[in-house]
Amino acid sequence: MKNKSLLKRDFNYQPHIYYPNYKSSILRAPHKDKITFPSTISEVSGPVFSKDIIGQNDNNLILNFSKNNKSPIGHKILVYGTVKDQFLKPVKGALIEIWQANASGKYMHPNDKTPTAIDPNFAGCGRYITETNGSYEFFTIQPGPYPYPNRGIEWRPMHIHFSIFGESFGQRLITQMYFEGDPLIKLCPMVNSIPDDKIRKSLISKLDVSRAVSHNILAYKFDIILRGINQTYFENRKEGL
Amino acid sequence: MDLIKNIHKETPFQTAGPFLHIGCLPNFIGIPGIYKNDIGVDPFPEKKNKDFIKISGSIFDGNEEAVDDVLLETWQCDEDGNYFGLNGFARFVPDKVTKKFSLSTIKPGSVKSFDGKLYSPHISLLISSRGLNMSLNTRIYFDDDDLTNDPLISFIINNNNNDISSLVAKKIDKNDYLFNVFLQGDKETIFFDL
Repeated sequence: MKNKSLLKRDFNYQPHIYYPNYKSSILRAPHKDKITFPSTISEVSGPVFSKDIIGQNDNNLILNFSKNNKSPIGHKILVYGTVKDQFLKPVKGALIEIWQANASGKYMHPNDKTPTAIDPNFAGCGRYITETNGSYEFFTIQPGPYPYPNRGIEWRPMHIHFSIFGESFGQRLITQMYFEGDPLIKLCPMVNSIPDDKIRKSLISKLDVSRAVSHNILAYKFDIILRGINQTYFENRKEGL
Repeated sequence: MDLIKNIHKETPFQTAGPFLHIGCLPNFIGIPGIYKNDIGVDPFPEKKNKDFIKISGSIFDGNEEAVDDVLLETWQCDEDGNYFGLNGFARFVPDKVTKKFSLSTIKPGSVKSFDGKLYSPHISLLISSRGLNMSLNTRIYFDDDDLTNDPLISFIINNNNNDISSLVAKKIDKNDYLFNVFLQGDKETIFFDL
């Protein structure tokens, strides 16, 4: 039998959970220390998603909500990369779900009150299950920046939300990907809730001109690292021994 | 050999934000036609409803106001203590009006972990929302089970001397349990660094 345990999470490289510059955290962030315990099967196991659930255009946000073959507004991009663990072992079969604003910075969501336009041909929702080498790719539209109420009105940098299921429920990651060169990144309190500058930068995708699929699409590379899982083998002991 | 050097840093969390339903429950939020079904709608599609328990409750912020823009995800074993496939995964949100969530599922069995120790029935719960820079992990135990020998409950009591009641769902009717989560304050729920 395999004994598996998750690598201990290093909170020096995670955002502060209570971060008053991000106003919404004030009433929601817990104050007590989290309790750490050795991994059990409940954290090491996790839901297994089959590629059967994935439709043909699930990773193509340019097409998956378009009506009568109309293109969404904005410029097309390819976002690609790999999902690996902390030992750089590719994580295959990982479910990646993304969501984002449209080119004018508006989400297709009833709670988004930003005074900009919905794009009837763009929902901003996609998913992918990683290949054997951990790779993934999405075709989408460059999301716009947008204002939101925080300390007065502030602006979010252009970003795409990522939700990832690895093989363990304890590997679960929800994060955001930013775009190289966006001057709003350094002003963003959500980005700055991460104290370490180098690890903050790991959320910024890199422009990759060489990977441009055709002349009308830019490519951005974003690699993701999930928590590592230690494995040791042991013989089953009999009950009571 | 320095093994630590071969361990790379994990990609950090960022908040899921207020619009996470677009990516996680698009059909539910009114974006039909992209995915046939939202995932996690039914944790045990092959089981009959009559065997189900219902766990309901609210997620309270620091003002003790129930919030509705959170995403809840649960992961559990079946009644025999087995984790397998996609069974046991559920994804749901509180009701807009009542601010209460409701999970219909089977009561998990006790589960044996790698160390051979037996854990009392429990469901892992992950909470993601705007205002949470990292998602929060906790567990739902049940107050009609014997928790005295559960290794995690014992570990918490022995090491932290905490009141573990925030981890325990209260039985309020035959198959009904109440489980509230307090993000802050005197009643703050126990959250885990898994």
